[in-house]
Amino acid sequence: MLTKIWSAANYGLKAVEIEVEVNVAEKGFPSFNIVGLQSKSGEEAKERVKTAIVNSDFEFPNAKITINLAPADLPKDGSFFDLPLALGILSSAGAVNKIEEKSYFFGEVSLDGSLRHTRGVFLLAILAKENGIKNIYVPRECANEAAVIEGIKVFPVANITEVVRHLNGQKEIIPLKTIIESELEYCGPEFDFAEVLGQEFAKRAMEIAAAGGHNLFMVGPPGSGKTMLSRAVPGILPPLSEAESLEVTKIYSITGNIPAGGSLIRQRPFRSPHHSTSLVGLIGGGSNPRPGEISMAHRGVLFLDEFPEFTRGALESLRQPLEDGFVTVSRAAGSVQFPAQFMLIAASNPCPCGYLGDEKKECKCSLHQIMNYQRKLSGPVMDRIDLHLTVPSVDVNKLMIDKDKYVGEKSVAIRKRVIAARRIQQERFKGLKNIHSNSDMKNKHLKEYAQFSDPANLLLKQAVNKFSLSARTYFRLIKVARTIADLDKKEVITDAHIAEALQFRIKTDL
Amino acid sequence: MKIFKDWPIRIIERKDFPEQLIKVRGCPKKLYYRGSWDNEIFAKSLAIVGSRRMSQYGLAAIKKLVPDLVANGFTIISGFMYGVDMASHRETLECGGKTAAILGGGLDIISPPENETIYLRILENSGLIVSEYEADFMPTVWTFPQRDRIVAGLASLGTLVIEAGLKSGSLITSRFTQEQGKKLFAIPGPINSTLSQGIYFLIKEKGAKIVTDSSDITNQKIKGNQMIIEYGDSLEKKILELLGIEALTTDELCKKLEKNVSTISQKMTVMSMGNKVNESLGKWRLYK
Repeated sequence: MLTKIWSAANYGLKAVEIEVEVNVAEKGFPSFNIVGLQSKSGEEAKERVKTAIVNSDFEFPNAKITINLAPADLPKDGSFFDLPLALGILSSAGAVNKIEEKSYFFGEVSLDGSLRHTRGVFLLAILAKENGIKNIYVPRECANEAAVIEGIKVFPVANITEVVRHLNGQKEIIPLKTIIESELEYCGPEFDFAEVLGQEFAKRAMEIAAAGGHNLFMVGPPGSGKTMLSRAVPGILPPLSEAESLEVTKIYSITGNIPAGGSLIRQRPFRSPHHSTSLVGLIGGGSNPRPGEISMAHRGVLFLDEFPEFTRGALESLRQPLEDGFVTVSRAAGSVQFPAQFMLIAASNPCPCGYLGDEKKECKCSLHQIMNYQRKLSGPVMDRIDLHLTVPSVDVNKLMIDKDKYVGEKSVAIRKRVIAARRIQQERFKGLKNIHSNSDMKNKHLKEYAQFSDPANLLLKQAVNKFSLSARTYFRLIKVARTIADLDKKEVITDAHIAEALQFRIKTDL
Repeated sequence: MKIFKDWPIRIIERKDFPEQLIKVRGCPKKLYYRGSWDNEIFAKSLAIVGSRRMSQYGLAAIKKLVPDLVANGFTIISGFMYGVDMASHRETLECGGKTAAILGGGLDIISPPENETIYLRILENSGLIVSEYEADFMPTVWTFPQRDRIVAGLASLGTLVIEAGLKSGSLITSRFTQEQGKKLFAIPGPINSTLSQGIYFLIKEKGAKIVTDSSDITNQKIKGNQMIIEYGDSLEKKILELLGIEALTTDELCKKLEKNVSTISQKMTVMSMGNKVNESLGKWRLYK
């Protein structure tokens, strides 16, 4: 008997409807074949499904079983189809009533018949809504992901037995209540700026970077707090809007990064890939393309520590996403676009050993080594970074003394200023496409949106001579000054703003 | 839009002239002007003159020097002719500085006529347009050299010559400058350019001071007034004192001076531009 069950496969950032056709033939030599699934995962799925059915106290039909996953030309791998496969076999064998209403079944089964956490449930729910499907059956552990989508019934399934009973009308599974976004609790940032002792200069730089969406680069000896400062940045960025939250959740769902029981992602992501991360791991890829670290950092912060240690290829590949806000992954099967709008924070030691210029420890690097190391700090990515700063080491003795009386500003307070500055920018760039923050401005916009007072103009001209600023540095400087003026709630950029922005210019010698 | 004739023409008598002009041989009895006359703006002033056929090199020199001069409080005086004169007026205005234009004809005759906008901008930026002739007096060949003695005369420090040929009117202004006992500055140009020949004549024969950097001019004491602006407020003094003891980071300065980061950052930029401090690896030191 032939049974059709519906499910979905993920391709790129989209779910595609898949028809699972199961035929249990009455004639023929007993066998079990799956077509339309990439060979290896097909073999694995067979064993899991067979064992799970038997361990759930159902009979596995001793007949010729043929399964087709259509469309056959779409590459499908992974374990999403275990549940529909099992139900299709049971239904063809007569253990399950015919499924009246078109529904989606999705999830990987364990050998004992229970369902495991499966990636991509959120996308399945979006597809269901688009296609007007009312019911979806997904593993209980990740059912919350789907429950944020209105208008569909999400059935959390614990194991095969449960879903069979439900379909046969013996014991109903209660669908989840829709989770309304505003009910989700916003949990505070991972790190609070108040926890970082001192480093007021660096904090101010982070505030400016967050307010204008600028990328930031810092140089400092080991232990100066570069990583800690960066980790605190998501906490001062404005909260994710609903649309942004959906975008992030999609990516997290497809990569299986939403924890069990989790639903919408409400916090801006922070990703810090190690410098040995492969190119595919960084920008995304694979024969069935999956998002990489830069897409995982979408709408959040991408922190690249030990920046010069990344391979040249990796750094080059960051160029397109930094420019366009997305990355295109082209493979034989087709090309996929992943969003990748992130704030880049790059960090580096002043030299390979890290102690160049340190007063207590001697630097052991040769001049040649230092030159080689710093040479890597130029090139296409550095051109996209607006703020450059040096983070000096912190004297541990002073830290101990100051610890008790030190009161740093809390992230919440900084965030308020950032949000206000961002609001000014939203208003300013209302009619413009693809420009959301000051860092997105092209040179042609500067004339219109960055007006200077006379003293500011004078200071700027002097600075160009004095520091031999290149045209590129000059324009970056103006953008940063624009953000500082926005934080100051001033429409016209004054000399004070320019003077401060000059502190964050790129310095040719370290 | 406001037109230039909306600005009334006023007259200033010789007794109210700035001191440096009164002393000039052939000082006019009165001057016509538009704008508001204040001898204060001539207290620290420099004339910039040069060729009408200014090259890119000349323009680059103006762009390099004028911002620093304006920042040092100089009023720029020039002759409102195209070329170096106009570029100097324009650059000064762009830097928010004050400038005075001395015309070779009456105040209602704008020559060259396309410069009406800049004429207005000078007035709007509390500068002056000055002439010794009646409003509708047409400029002629002999009025320009006459005008040059006033250009040189109004400047308190002296005259800077940027690009001049051997028969240039700038040499006339230079002669007046030296006759009046003021400093003569010249910017050396390429030796094969005709626009450098007048300059080298001034340097070799007339003892003009070579200028390659604005400090060549700003470090000069102004004769008579002895006016040198004392830079630096109390904050700057404190920073210099602290850095005299040891090198400090921006953070440490903030803490010691109990100021916020933006204030200190701004100050450090200004001080490093004045070659008072410099930074390496995050630490500030006194400029050696």
